[in-house]
Amino acid sequence: MNRPNRRQAVLVYLLLAVVLIVFLTPIYIIASSSVKPTPIMFQKPPAMVFTPTFEHYTQLFATRPFAKFMLNSLIAALGSTVFSLTFGSLAAYAISRIRHKRMNDVAFWILSMRMFPPIAVVVPYYIIFKASGLLDTPLALIIIYSTANIPLTVWLMKGFFDEVPRALEEAAAIDGYGLLQIFWYVTLPLAAPGLAVSAVFCFIFSWNEFIFALMLTGSNAQTVTVAVMSFWSSDAVQWGRIMAGSFIILIPGVIFVLTCQRWLVRGLTMGSVK
Amino acid sequence: MAYIRKRNRKIFLIFMMPAVLVLFGTTIYPMLYAGYLSFRSYDLAKLFVPRVYVGWANYREILSSSEFLHTLIVTFKLMAMTLSVQLVLGVGIALLVTQRLPGMGVARTLLLIPMMISPVIVGLVWLFLYFPELGYLNYFLSFLGLGPYAWITSTDWALWAIAIADIWQWTPFVMMGTAAALTNLSPEPFEAAKLDGNSPFDVFWRVTLPQIRPVLISLMFLRAIDAFKIYDIIFVLTKGGPGDTTEVLSMFIYRQSFTFWRMGVGAAASFVSLVIIVVLITLFFKSLNRDPHQA
Repeated sequence: MNRPNRRQAVLVYLLLAVVLIVFLTPIYIIASSSVKPTPIMFQKPPAMVFTPTFEHYTQLFATRPFAKFMLNSLIAALGSTVFSLTFGSLAAYAISRIRHKRMNDVAFWILSMRMFPPIAVVVPYYIIFKASGLLDTPLALIIIYSTANIPLTVWLMKGFFDEVPRALEEAAAIDGYGLLQIFWYVTLPLAAPGLAVSAVFCFIFSWNEFIFALMLTGSNAQTVTVAVMSFWSSDAVQWGRIMAGSFIILIPGVIFVLTCQRWLVRGLTMGSVK
Repeated sequence: MAYIRKRNRKIFLIFMMPAVLVLFGTTIYPMLYAGYLSFRSYDLAKLFVPRVYVGWANYREILSSSEFLHTLIVTFKLMAMTLSVQLVLGVGIALLVTQRLPGMGVARTLLLIPMMISPVIVGLVWLFLYFPELGYLNYFLSFLGLGPYAWITSTDWALWAIAIADIWQWTPFVMMGTAAALTNLSPEPFEAAKLDGNSPFDVFWRVTLPQIRPVLISLMFLRAIDAFKIYDIIFVLTKGGPGDTTEVLSMFIYRQSFTFWRMGVGAAASFVSLVIIVVLITLFFKSLNRDPHQA
């Protein structure tokens, strides 16, 4: 494709401006409403200049144990991330190195595990967790989030392991390293960016998750997404607090996009785009 | 490498075992359990009482009920609505951001933000925009001479209200995949087509589109799999209403299981949804095994 001429360039920028306004307005609304005084929340035309207030944030933490819910989310997300990275990268290494014609099927089987509708397995989970006393504990969420995060880690890490030069591993083997040592001292450090990317994906997925957290936790292990939603179910909708909570929840995802957007293609398209 | 492989085949299998076992325990087992439940009459009040075997009764009930068929129709209607708009908009925006002009990288990055936002938050911010009387969307649309629409409370617009929120979140995904595919294309066919005096539209339709078609098909299957599972946004915006206008399959399973506590019926519906998703997943993987010279 060659460079567009002046007129085409103007047209591209105009269209793109419209697209950006449409796609970024909701995010602007979350951010601005979270610091807007309640009386002007729905004022029309929208107040663009106002003295920001942090009362919604104060209220958020004062009326609910929001800090505890954040901690719950953090425990579930970090726990699942550690668990998934450990098991996922070991499996990915094996899948990357074993030459067998059925290996692709195994990789696809693992990947397909993250595509099943959560709602279809939530009933069995509810019953199993209720019977084992895990209902409303962070451990239940860690286990469940790992079912989605392990396949993702395997998928991402396999790509990174495939790129590690085999010659380095062979050299280490000749020096008398065992397989676990090769993996730990040679291969894994070279695939470190992959670990970082997988970790962030696992974390964001778990942090954002809602259905399982809603159905499998109560007051003890409740996460931030469920807590924010609960400001809606009361008789008067607390829009300020909802927006303040929403803004806190969306921060990790936005940071991720702005810092490592080039990995998003690999992580989200599951190999559709090479 | 052959040396490493031969000696360590067993160790490699041991590496794989934990992940495979965990996935078996956390995914296959609950699914089989759902299958078991779907043949039982299940009442949560009697959790540890042996469940009565009822044969295919639960399946007969849902498959013959117009309510269940209605939820299937709504699910696929919503899928068709979101996928078609996401495809057209996503490809269109991808063509914009792949132009060789300054600032395109920044625009591309900013457009990815909606994807990484929790679906509940997406639902809540659109609820804010749709909110009866107060919401800003009707206010914005009034400048274009449109509306006002009763977005979430009218049977005409509720499904579109959900579709729009999903389109907002996932059009960037189609854009991102398409833009990556466009950047990977080799420039020769385009130059040849231009020299032949084709209009830009012809070049897109005859040269670009056939080359990115396999990628688009895979992206659409991924979107279809997600659209089939849609739940969070509906839970926030309409809870299946008004009436049963937006009751998708996931809502049906949820209400049978957790509102009416009829877990046997919920499990039977879950199993039907698993069968459909397996078909979609298989089609997706088939779409990946395409001729590498075409992609």
